[in-house]
Amino acid sequence: MALNVDLYDAILNGNAKKAHAATEAAIAAGVEPMALIQESMVPAMDEVGRLFECEEYFVPELLLAGRAMKGAMELLKPLLTAAGQKMAVRVVIGTVKGDLHDIGKNIVASMLEGSGFEVIDLGTDVSPENFVAAVEQRKPHVVCMSALLTVTMPAMKLTIDALQTAGLRTQVKVLIGGAPVTHQYAKEIGADGYSENANGAVGLVKNLLAGEAA
Amino acid sequence: MPVGADLILHQEPDPENLRNDGAALGRVIEHTARRWNTPLAIPLMDLRLEKIDLLARIGVSAKDADAYHFTVPLDDATLATLCDEKAGSSCPGSTARDEALEYIASKPDLISAGMAIGPFSLVTRLMADPITATAMAGRGQAPEDSDDVRLLFQCLQAAEAAVHRSVRSQIHHGARAVMICEPAANTSFLSPRQLKSGSSIFERLVMEPNLRLKAVLDQGHCDLIFHDCGELIDPMVKAFAHRLHPVILSLGGSRKLWEDARLVPSDVVLYGNLPTKSFYSDGAMPIEEVIRRTEDLLANMNACGHPHILGSECDVLFVPEARDTILKKVDAMMAVTVPAKPLLKADS
Repeated sequence: MALNVDLYDAILNGNAKKAHAATEAAIAAGVEPMALIQESMVPAMDEVGRLFECEEYFVPELLLAGRAMKGAMELLKPLLTAAGQKMAVRVVIGTVKGDLHDIGKNIVASMLEGSGFEVIDLGTDVSPENFVAAVEQRKPHVVCMSALLTVTMPAMKLTIDALQTAGLRTQVKVLIGGAPVTHQYAKEIGADGYSENANGAVGLVKNLLAGEAA
Repeated sequence: MPVGADLILHQEPDPENLRNDGAALGRVIEHTARRWNTPLAIPLMDLRLEKIDLLARIGVSAKDADAYHFTVPLDDATLATLCDEKAGSSCPGSTARDEALEYIASKPDLISAGMAIGPFSLVTRLMADPITATAMAGRGQAPEDSDDVRLLFQCLQAAEAAVHRSVRSQIHHGARAVMICEPAANTSFLSPRQLKSGSSIFERLVMEPNLRLKAVLDQGHCDLIFHDCGELIDPMVKAFAHRLHPVILSLGGSRKLWEDARLVPSDVVLYGNLPTKSFYSDGAMPIEEVIRRTEDLLANMNACGHPHILGSECDVLFVPEARDTILKKVDAMMAVTVPAKPLLKADS
């Protein structure tokens, strides 16, 4: 495994400028984009996640690392496209209808991107119909929904019901999160999983898809 | 007492219109106080109002205000308009809030309390990505080095001005205390790692603006009730309690109030903090668990001897189809009593 130490450290320390520079240098040196992602960037984000779990890092560090990762990815994406390569897992994410609180959703999106998933961010106040349309058109493996308010939580169930009605429910895993959401609520409404934080959401996506592949 | 006006509001046939009707809103707030037998008339926790009034100054409609975020540094003229000390026109919700205060102030047995979002929490609602900007400032980036950091401090200026205008108006309309809600002052926005390594970001973004706000309240002979239901570290609690010195400190459900008592001066009443955000679900929070937790909290507070008002961790929001479930649990919580700590016999 060829770890690019400069890029790894830049992401780990949330230094977007250094991550950008290290990526440019690696590209100029002829390193394969996918190798950079898999051997340096994803391991860096894994380490960020581990530090978050043991409370060495907090949400601000997660976001800074995610931002550094995203900046590096912007350089690599055109190269991946040109080479006919694409990210293996696609995730659609949004806050549910009526909910404009997107900070948690943005953190999860950033961490998922940082972990090498393709993220389609539908934004805030996403109606069940728009989630359904995104699943139909973009064919994601996972749908993530967020609600910060108890008053908007019922929209999660409405969205799951809409996926069911459209015959799409079995095609995607549905994960939910947000301050008032619980495991119990996820079970009650028929979601596939719940995570109380962004790092947990990344692990959950990996576990669910690994389970599916097994 | 719970912060329960929203639950009571939704007993009414047309709750959304009542938000903009000062007299009716006043009656809802009065009813809420009387239902739970408290003189403290806590209003609706509608933390959108200051943002709506602020953005109206630059022509953003109330309908669009919630989703509106600044993404690039503001020009001088826009910033000056946002920060102008002169009171501008208020949205119907703010006008109703002020009229409701006048209504409550006319009831001699009730204490009229106002409500406003804290300056830092308002900043986080004005920016699309406040955490990253805060984190960059926290690691030492200056406004001159980064547009994100520059915008952050511009938003802080605008937010302070908006909150000052709101608080002055509420004092003018009879508020004897104001609950300042700073839920964003928490470890998701302010990294304990940065604070530990000596960053002054908590000081600059949270403490200094709130100390200036406290001075405005003091000037108006109005008490501070400080509310922060976010995840906190002990130095944050200590700073709020000792330096802002509110009459009441309201904390979120993740704090153990009897342990926090050691961080708080004895003349600051602790308020809270049952996890009311989970009350909608019988699975997550059955009524027996509500009663058990309430008994536990009261016994521990009784044992530590710190002044305490039993209440909710935050606003107890109405949830469609779960209102009765929530109300039943709030009533059960408020019905729990624990015998007062036996008084020590006087020295003979």
